[in-house]
Amino acid sequence: MIDFIILMGTVVCFSAILALALNFQWGLGGMVNFGLAGFYALGAYSCALLMLKGGFNTFFATLGAMGIVALVCGLVALVTLRVTEEDYFAIVTLGVGEMLRLVALNEDWLTKGALGLTGIPRPLGELIPAPVYLYFMLALSLVLVAACVWVLGRLSRSPFGRVVRAVREDDVVAATLGKNVLWARVRIFAIGGALIGLAGSLHAFYFQYIDPTQFSTIVIAYAFMAVIAGGRGAHVGTVAGAAAVMLLLEGSRFAKELVPGLESDQLAAVRIIIIGIGLIMLLIYRPHGFMREYRLQVPLKDSLGQARSQPPKEAPT
Amino acid sequence: MLQTAFNGLVTGIIIALPSLAITLLFGVLKFPNFAVGAMMTVAAYMVYAVNVQLGWPLLPATAAVAVAFGLLCIAIDHVTFRPLRDRGGITLMVASLGLGFVLENVARFAYGNAARSFAIELARPFRFFDIRMNREQMTAMVVATLAMGLMYVLLTRMPVGRAMRAVADNPSLALVRGIDSASIIRWTWFITGVLLAVGGVLIGMDRALEPPMGTSYVIAVFSAAILGGLGSPLGAFVGALLIGLVSELATLVIPPNYRIGIPLCVIALVLIFRPQGIFGQMYIRR
Repeated sequence: MIDFIILMGTVVCFSAILALALNFQWGLGGMVNFGLAGFYALGAYSCALLMLKGGFNTFFATLGAMGIVALVCGLVALVTLRVTEEDYFAIVTLGVGEMLRLVALNEDWLTKGALGLTGIPRPLGELIPAPVYLYFMLALSLVLVAACVWVLGRLSRSPFGRVVRAVREDDVVAATLGKNVLWARVRIFAIGGALIGLAGSLHAFYFQYIDPTQFSTIVIAYAFMAVIAGGRGAHVGTVAGAAAVMLLLEGSRFAKELVPGLESDQLAAVRIIIIGIGLIMLLIYRPHGFMREYRLQVPLKDSLGQARSQPPKEAPT
Repeated sequence: MLQTAFNGLVTGIIIALPSLAITLLFGVLKFPNFAVGAMMTVAAYMVYAVNVQLGWPLLPATAAVAVAFGLLCIAIDHVTFRPLRDRGGITLMVASLGLGFVLENVARFAYGNAARSFAIELARPFRFFDIRMNREQMTAMVVATLAMGLMYVLLTRMPVGRAMRAVADNPSLALVRGIDSASIIRWTWFITGVLLAVGGVLIGMDRALEPPMGTSYVIAVFSAAILGGLGSPLGAFVGALLIGLVSELATLVIPPNYRIGIPLCVIALVLIFRPQGIFGQMYIRR
């Protein structure tokens, strides 16, 4: 049981990083990413291939995977050059994600196709004995999630973060104020991409085996659900959302014992149905999620120009 | 070469139906419905149930399901999209993604992952000069062309169709002229449902019935609608024929596994060079 909890904790961490990436791209930047599963696969495959074929160590392979996904995402964001409607961009990401999945499935010489890649090394795999490794992996993932939350928190409070939100709210106004909207969008999407690459690398390290079926639509459903539940734009909320959704989903594993005669295909289908319905219900009944986005609050000043209450402080997020 | 072009034309005319459906829906409700693929899948399985399990012939089965699915679409809109109507396009789009997950997996839950097919007798393919065309392709051509013709008459000659175009063009002006937008939205969903049901059956005849069958067409369908100009019915038709032709002809050059890359490239090129599409008009949304 304790192993199961540790396993869940680690998987929640990857998913949380993935959800944080989506939260940055969509929640803060307003750029919907329907190709998340494909980019996630790209991250995992890049990391694995850099180690297996390129001979890099785990650290540089992770950095490389982050760089590759960021680059691809940045290029994809360039299609918003002339069209700024989110709908069109969503279709493009959907298509690119599907293409990436097809490449993983069909380029046997590189990715071994449906067989998948095996024997992926782990960080410090030789130094740490196998029984303790689970704990190390969990700790590493937790540290990385915390680091991501911290970096994204800093980023969204920075001047760049304000540009990001301005572009989301109204790109015409942002452009009128002299902000380079296209460049901002490319950076938003690339930063999200780097995080997706990180999540993909962790996925590869943890499972040591990757194949195209691991990167199915449930990844997308899951990340969107986590972001919506957590509150668009709220980083801590997204992590909490990811954990909550994972509990809900993994809880449904036990439904198999409650309802006899349910096949595993059907169970998988039921889980996605639950996510889909949950997603729509959250959008309808709880559109802002359970946590608020960070807002800079400046207290009112009285006629003497002095702050009425405490000096400006950040709202709790 | 000629054979490939013919196959492409058939594919094109099949995806013309869902393209028209999303373009009409986009015109009236201003959001891209990502659930089109899953909706076609569900409709196709409903026809399968009536055709194979109840033993109706395919034509009456399709007709009955098309009407039922149109009504089902109105119901779906009532519970999912109507409460979100004034939340903006992105929210509706994400909701349609969620709806797509639900519908596709309802089909998977009921019928499993194995491929199935309708109860139609096999027939020897026709030969016309050097082109081989089988019965399913002929049926698809005839049915889709007929449906397109009916849609043309509906949109240009019938009061409902004209009202739909008016709402798409300028909702507030349409409201001032006394058009009941709620009933127009219901009509739009009904027509969407009918088109998707017919499209789903044609896809099921052309390939096989399996849960991802509709979703695999989503990118082609959207690229057709975008190429023609999102919101333009004529554009959706022309765009679909072009996409079908080009992606089928491209398989002569690129590996067939990457066929989906062609509509994707078309979308990217259209967005960069002519975002309004062939027949669309630039509009400012706000």
